[in-house]
Amino acid sequence: MLPSEVAQSISKQWPCRELQSRQLASLLGAKVSSPSTIVVHGISATCKTTIVRNVLAALDVPHALVRSPECITGRHLLTKILWATLEALGKRDEWEKYGKGRCEHVSTLAVLLNECLASAFVSSQQEQHPPTRNNRNKFVLVLDGIDKQREASPTLLPALARLGEVIPSLCVVLVLSTPPRPLFLQSAGVPHISFPPYTRNEATTIILQGGPPPAAAATLGLSDAVASTLYPHFVAAVYDSLVGPTASSIPTFRSICEKLWPRFVAPITTGETPPGGVGEWDFTRLLVKNRALFRHQGEGALVHHIVTEEDEAEPPVAKGTTAVSTKRPRSLSAASAPSPLPSLPYFPTLILTSAYLASHTPQRLDTIFFSKFSSSSLSARNKRAHHRRRLKLLSRAQLEDAASAAADPSTPGSRKKGKRTKTKITKSTLESAFATSSATTSAVGGGGGITGPSTILTARPFPLERLVAIYHAIDPNPPANPIRMAAVSDAIYAELATLRRLRLVVPAAGREGRVGMGSGGLNSGNTTSDTGEKWCVNVSGDWIGELAKTVGVEVGEWLAGGLD
Amino acid sequence: MDADLLELDTGGASKDGSQSQGVYIYRPADKIKSSGERPTKRRKVARTDLPKAANSRPFVSLLNGDEDAKSIELRYRIYHKFWAAQEAKIKGILDDVDSEVLTNVLSFVRSTSPQTYDGCIPAALVTVGSNVSSLGRLLSRLNGQLTATGEGGVIALESGDAPNLKTTLKNIIRFGITNTEGNEGYQSFVTDREGPRVLGYDLDLLADYVKRKEVKKLVLAFRDSEAFDPGILADLLSLLSSWLDRIPLTLIFGISTSVELFEGRLPRSTVALLRGRYFEIHEASNCVDRIYGRIQAEQDGKFWLGRNITSVLFEKSSDSFQTPEAFSRTVKYAYMSHFFANPLSVLLADDDAATTIQRDKVCEALRNLPSFRRYCEDTMEEGCAEQVRKLLEDDAFLLEQSAQWVKSGQQKMRDMFKCVDMVQRALKKFNIVKKTSISDLAIRALAGELQTSASYEDILRAIKTLDSDQMPLFAMMLPDTLTASSDFAQIQADFGALLQVYQGTEPLKSGYDKQHSVVATTVVQQRVKLSKAKVKLPKENAEFTKIIDRFHALLEACLEETLIRPNDLVLHEIFLLDMRNPLKEVFSPRPRFAVERALSSPFDYLISSPESSTVKVSAHQPAAAILYQLYLESGSLVNVHDLWQAFYAVFESEQGNGCDERTAMALFYRALSDLKALGMMKSSRKKVDHVSKTAWMGL
Repeated sequence: MLPSEVAQSISKQWPCRELQSRQLASLLGAKVSSPSTIVVHGISATCKTTIVRNVLAALDVPHALVRSPECITGRHLLTKILWATLEALGKRDEWEKYGKGRCEHVSTLAVLLNECLASAFVSSQQEQHPPTRNNRNKFVLVLDGIDKQREASPTLLPALARLGEVIPSLCVVLVLSTPPRPLFLQSAGVPHISFPPYTRNEATTIILQGGPPPAAAATLGLSDAVASTLYPHFVAAVYDSLVGPTASSIPTFRSICEKLWPRFVAPITTGETPPGGVGEWDFTRLLVKNRALFRHQGEGALVHHIVTEEDEAEPPVAKGTTAVSTKRPRSLSAASAPSPLPSLPYFPTLILTSAYLASHTPQRLDTIFFSKFSSSSLSARNKRAHHRRRLKLLSRAQLEDAASAAADPSTPGSRKKGKRTKTKITKSTLESAFATSSATTSAVGGGGGITGPSTILTARPFPLERLVAIYHAIDPNPPANPIRMAAVSDAIYAELATLRRLRLVVPAAGREGRVGMGSGGLNSGNTTSDTGEKWCVNVSGDWIGELAKTVGVEVGEWLAGGLD
Repeated sequence: MDADLLELDTGGASKDGSQSQGVYIYRPADKIKSSGERPTKRRKVARTDLPKAANSRPFVSLLNGDEDAKSIELRYRIYHKFWAAQEAKIKGILDDVDSEVLTNVLSFVRSTSPQTYDGCIPAALVTVGSNVSSLGRLLSRLNGQLTATGEGGVIALESGDAPNLKTTLKNIIRFGITNTEGNEGYQSFVTDREGPRVLGYDLDLLADYVKRKEVKKLVLAFRDSEAFDPGILADLLSLLSSWLDRIPLTLIFGISTSVELFEGRLPRSTVALLRGRYFEIHEASNCVDRIYGRIQAEQDGKFWLGRNITSVLFEKSSDSFQTPEAFSRTVKYAYMSHFFANPLSVLLADDDAATTIQRDKVCEALRNLPSFRRYCEDTMEEGCAEQVRKLLEDDAFLLEQSAQWVKSGQQKMRDMFKCVDMVQRALKKFNIVKKTSISDLAIRALAGELQTSASYEDILRAIKTLDSDQMPLFAMMLPDTLTASSDFAQIQADFGALLQVYQGTEPLKSGYDKQHSVVATTVVQQRVKLSKAKVKLPKENAEFTKIIDRFHALLEACLEETLIRPNDLVLHEIFLLDMRNPLKEVFSPRPRFAVERALSSPFDYLISSPESSTVKVSAHQPAAAILYQLYLESGSLVNVHDLWQAFYAVFESEQGNGCDERTAMALFYRALSDLKALGMMKSSRKKVDHVSKTAWMGL
């Protein structure tokens, strides 16, 4: 089969990829001697693997495909390559001959592959098997997604590229989803085939090839003629509004079209009269009518949620059983309000709140905010008012609009200030306290709904003793008998362990370790807390503020920026 | 630290040894292991010594060691009998609770597949809140159902099973296969297969298993999804999604915080791989309330937990993370401690077993009970000295009496809980209070305060406004003791007769009904006049009001009689456990408080001469205690030399010039390292010769 014929046959099913399939077919064709390595690259959902596989199938070249994201280690990959080759050559039963099916290094792989390819071609030559005669001296190994290989050594890729040089009858196709760097294989002259993302025209052509969703048209009673005139416009509109701007892939494009089409043409099928007294619904009118539909879908397209609204409205499966259908209303009501706030028990809530306060208050201001040595003398009150004004001014300068949202004015703040302000809070110290912390605006996970007081300071690590002390300061119902307080501090540790399991409060070291992928093994098993080890709160502030209100603590009352 | 100072450490140790002579030394109960012999080699052997251990009495002899083996045995038997009954009830509740969620999850698992979700992995997000253990129960029952029908199984992963990707995959494969095949089945599955040996983390194994067993649904559950490392989770999910065409996976995530938080922590690309639905498991408190209700208010109850214990129990379960299992363990401990420590609990035995008890000892103990003494005093005041004398002198009479007292006391407790139950149901039925739990009412009733509580008055007020439709409903809730009485029968009969006569379609309303004027238009004026000017009602309504009045009086009298103070019952010590302390001490220990107290005032624990205990810091105290008290006086950064000077001064002042500086220094270093080991201080990075304080007293 000629390359152009291959490309034609493939483009019927996968359009807009003629160029790439022709290139592949001419490089891998039966009659030509293939280059030892071919690189195929392009971002995800550009049809790379499908085209490669189909070209190979159409050319009838013996080949093996290994999906490297499924391989956990480099060794796993090499073993899989060997097995896939044996399988493709029909030699699965002879695995014991070739290294007992084990392969731990690329050099071993080269030897083993060489052996088995050589023996395979010798045997096929002897048999004079007609279909394989043309391709007897060629074997194509496709490594899909090789750039995403886990635990790959830096030399893996160049080594794999060398395989084809070592074994003359082998051609290695590397499929990458990231654009390759120059000379990343350490060898020049490797043919690269690029799969660019689909352009607007290509994408709409692909979608239009399938025609309007037939099921929808049949059930809705829309005439074919109307559907076929409206659908191209509709697809183009969807592309321009939803798919193009979000760089979505073809499958998403298709699913959006299928989902929206019935709702888009609903005015026609339900027999609504078009506005303006015109007898016909045309595309423009439908579009104007369905503006909200697009906007809504646009929001959904950007943020994927595990539970989408459609799933709740109409569960994707036909629920035949009566047991389920009777339960529907209940599960719906439960699901529509999936408890945005976790309901922690009283004690953990208070601990979490104190952890949050400990994280978000500069340690040097502790005496002002949490000291219980409050005095009612005039001078002390004046001092408190003075500090309060100063803090307020500073916080207002930082976020002007947050001042109104700041916490309740009813509390006189009598407990906040200490008379023994040994550390004198001058304006400069305050400013430096804020300056060090206001560089970044939010806590970890403080994504949505940034409000004023909670985001002035970043979450900073604190020692456990400070947490316990702040706990005692903010406890809304302090125990009458001070002897009992000791038990509280011991109970805190038990609850803290649970909070840590929920990753609401984490050891400070653990939070940094989270960044490295797969390095969690270092800290996930470690539950001991050393002397003075620091902890940090791991959730956003508004959330804790809400939570704290349920136990009667107003977070804004204690926070530096939330004063009024 | 100098090398020669280190050598002096041995001298310090001997001195230290002489100091701590009054110390209680903890010896583990297990003598064999503690006596310094080599531990027995660990081998897997069939447990032969287990039945022997079970035969030996776990309870000890009470009454100054005079209690005989039979009584001890009897107490142990009664405890087992009582607890077995309660445990069965608890298990029933735990099995029953959340069964609705189970059916929902099961139908979700059965009905979804990657195809229905456009290639996303079906994922059930189960929010469990603080009810952490419930998911485990749910999963095991789900697994039972799935394996029973041969559809597949559940692989439950804990965060501890997932330190890295390789181990996680190994665990997934192993759990999946051992679930149906057992451990040996897994071994043979891995080894006895044709073809080359597969690596333990190769999902080919699982795919092969799925193919061979024709598994239709494999559920992978992450029990504590928050505790998983997000990086590993993302890696794992992307891997699993590429295997989705070969392994029919469904995921279950147990979420203790909120779905938003959970989603927010995962990378976008990972979230895009999942689609599914929410499920919500109820809070633990619901389950705990039900358990308590079953244990206490059941009509076959013979032994009750008192007010103090109840409040300890509920404080713990509402204030902190506590599973229903932990709750039931606490209850079990309460039961255990009663039968372990109360020799009179033998009186709770059935009649035939009770003959074996030691009469004289038991009677002596009975006569020492506070409630018995109070009873005797009361009887004396009433002038029945004869009976008191008989009780004090005649053992047989006392035993007979006490058996009766216990029986009647138990009956009274049952009646009381029946009333509590009635009050609770009535409150719920007539929506008087928004949220009623049996725990609040039970605590009040056990304290004998229910009559003075607001809900009690609400109930009585509500009765007066009942109409003729609600009245029979309410009557159904009443305890049998009340319904059996002749007065009640009379009221019922009169009420029936009235209804026979009454022709109207509207239900009859009593004269106390204040809403009536709003509801009915024709009778309005009459009613208004009635309440104000005492004008005669329509005949039926007036009759009905009379019936309601009688009913109200009857109920009030009945409640008055039933809602007693349990602590006033004679011999309540036998069937009512109301001691806060062993439970509270055991379930919320205070190690920090104890350590601080031991260090700051060591003579609370150590034997000392009287004059030394008055001085705050003295050289007679252990070195660590001296140092700790000095440490308490300092700021957050302590100069070690200053600390040493102060430490030395303590010795100097008491021993004058005879004080050996080198020994003191050895003691000082020892004490310093003791405090370090306790986590009280650590070396400071700010100043070389300082240590920083890491613990403050009294927190």
